[in-house]
Amino acid sequence: MRIATLFFLLLTFAARAEPIAIVVNSGDATLSMLDMSGNELRRVPVLREPHHLMLSPDRTELLVGDAGGNEMLFLDPRTGAVRRRVPVADPYQLGFSPDGKWLVVTGLARNQVDVLDAGTMALVHRFPARTMPSHLAYAPDSSVVYVTLQGANQVAAYDLKRQVELWRAEVGQTPAGIIWHEGRLLVANMGSDHFAVVDPTDGRVERRVRTGRGSHQLFLSPDRKTLWVNNRVDGTTVALDPHTFEIRRVYRVPGGPDCIDFAPDGTLWITQRFIQKVGVLDPVSGALRSFPVGRSPHGVFLTANMR
Amino acid sequence: MIDPFSFAAGWLQEQVLLPLLYGVGLMQWEEVSFGWALFACYGLAQVGLTFAVCLPLERWRPVEHWPDAKAVWVDVLYTLISRVGLLPLVTFVIFYELQAGLTGVLADHGYVAPTLERLAPGLLGHHLLTFFIYAVVLDFAEYWRHRLSHRFGWWWALHSLHHAQRQMTFWSDDRNHLIDEVIGFVWFMAIGLLIGIPPLQFPLLVLLLRFLESLSHANARVSFGWLGERLLISPRFHRAHHGVLAAGQRSANYGAILPWWDMLFRTADFDRAYVQTGDPGAEEALATGTYFQQQAAGLRRMARMAGWVRAKAG
Repeated sequence: MRIATLFFLLLTFAARAEPIAIVVNSGDATLSMLDMSGNELRRVPVLREPHHLMLSPDRTELLVGDAGGNEMLFLDPRTGAVRRRVPVADPYQLGFSPDGKWLVVTGLARNQVDVLDAGTMALVHRFPARTMPSHLAYAPDSSVVYVTLQGANQVAAYDLKRQVELWRAEVGQTPAGIIWHEGRLLVANMGSDHFAVVDPTDGRVERRVRTGRGSHQLFLSPDRKTLWVNNRVDGTTVALDPHTFEIRRVYRVPGGPDCIDFAPDGTLWITQRFIQKVGVLDPVSGALRSFPVGRSPHGVFLTANMR
Repeated sequence: MIDPFSFAAGWLQEQVLLPLLYGVGLMQWEEVSFGWALFACYGLAQVGLTFAVCLPLERWRPVEHWPDAKAVWVDVLYTLISRVGLLPLVTFVIFYELQAGLTGVLADHGYVAPTLERLAPGLLGHHLLTFFIYAVVLDFAEYWRHRLSHRFGWWWALHSLHHAQRQMTFWSDDRNHLIDEVIGFVWFMAIGLLIGIPPLQFPLLVLLLRFLESLSHANARVSFGWLGERLLISPRFHRAHHGVLAAGQRSANYGAILPWWDMLFRTADFDRAYVQTGDPGAEEALATGTYFQQQAAGLRRMARMAGWVRAKAG
């Protein structure tokens, strides 16, 4: 009876868990848990140097890659509680394929791209990837994963069915963020001032769209009506038309803006890498409120998006 | 609360380093540059704290009085290069590349370097305890690195640059040959592969430890008392290691922070107090030369000790 009561209370607690923001502090090896007003509730220690995080396909677990600690953390996505830790070599960036079959992990420090079975976490294939494999994007049918190679100014395409490299192509200076968008790859070239529109069949650059110095990451808004780009050097976040790529508005976001997550109220949560803050940007008013977190905040995830 | 070091490093990164890296096409190093900025800011704080505490101590209770302190200035340069300037930048990049490459090769063979926290998961979240254990283990490793640097002739030749100073002050801690520094980093990296080394996770505590190392070189009559001398290394204890009689391949008091290893391995000498420092066997350039003269003299001495010079002559 006691156990049943406890179980009921736990279920009630889980159901009523208030939405929180989880910020990955890569510089001091912690995760900051904040309420949606920006107050830090607690910090969870990880091992060495976590960077990115990703929701599992069944939305039951949040994976955080600790690249320096060589382990993957599995969190309760509603509460941020750490459930388990699994050794994985250099998990810098990670992403599940749209069909949920693969988990691809880029090892930026170790120049490798690992393809894991998403169900068992077993390593299926390792691609040597010189140098500095950074971000990744999938073809919508999960057949190919595309990885930016920051140190080689290239994008590499890997066939996931045959586990072979399809092509490598130069796309611009220090490519970082990459997304699949309307049949094309958009690649943010951090060593330059633009993102490249790339043909996914051969890596040919079709067009370059100027956004600002240090174009680092691209994000499509949940309603797919705005393309957002963070410019690391200029300290700006730019809103563009996702079809014409015309710039609609430029927002000042100092401190090296990096990752973005979108809150249900329309605000953007943006990590500000070099000033230990996470910024909440109201795209309508342009107001930016920044809240202290740990050192070098990188990935950000809002549990409100679980609802 | 934003800590002031990170604030300063963030400013340096955003206003100086990022535009610089962008300008010269090296943006792939932007995360490493932020690490270096932090390192340099903490280094500056170390220098400031050491200066603020040790200088009054040296003025208040000096062991030695010198007519001039010209030889000290080169030690100031060593300190700035080592803690703030070029050395952290180079070693940060080299250390990062080497460690990533080496751990990558090991990972390819199924070996992922362990860490103390993985061996003892209970340590996670207990920062002070974790740091204390890391500090003890690394201090033990440093004892043996230092002791071996006296044991082998060629290595002692390099390390003798550190011992040649006859005007030893708190600035002398970083007075080292560049090759000796590189060996130190390789040593540190090897330990990292065995137990992991937390990179900048405990910067304030590291700052404190570096302060203690500088303090131990101070030209000051400072002892921590009978018990204190056996818990932490004092200027009195470490000065015995720099004494003219201890220079060379048979020495004493090798410890950096803790005297425990000297006590355990019977190399502790608590009796010699406030001795004259220096290495009578070193050529004058090692003691009073410029930075580059000292580096060259260290190389020459290493070549002689290793027998390379004789081999060439023959």
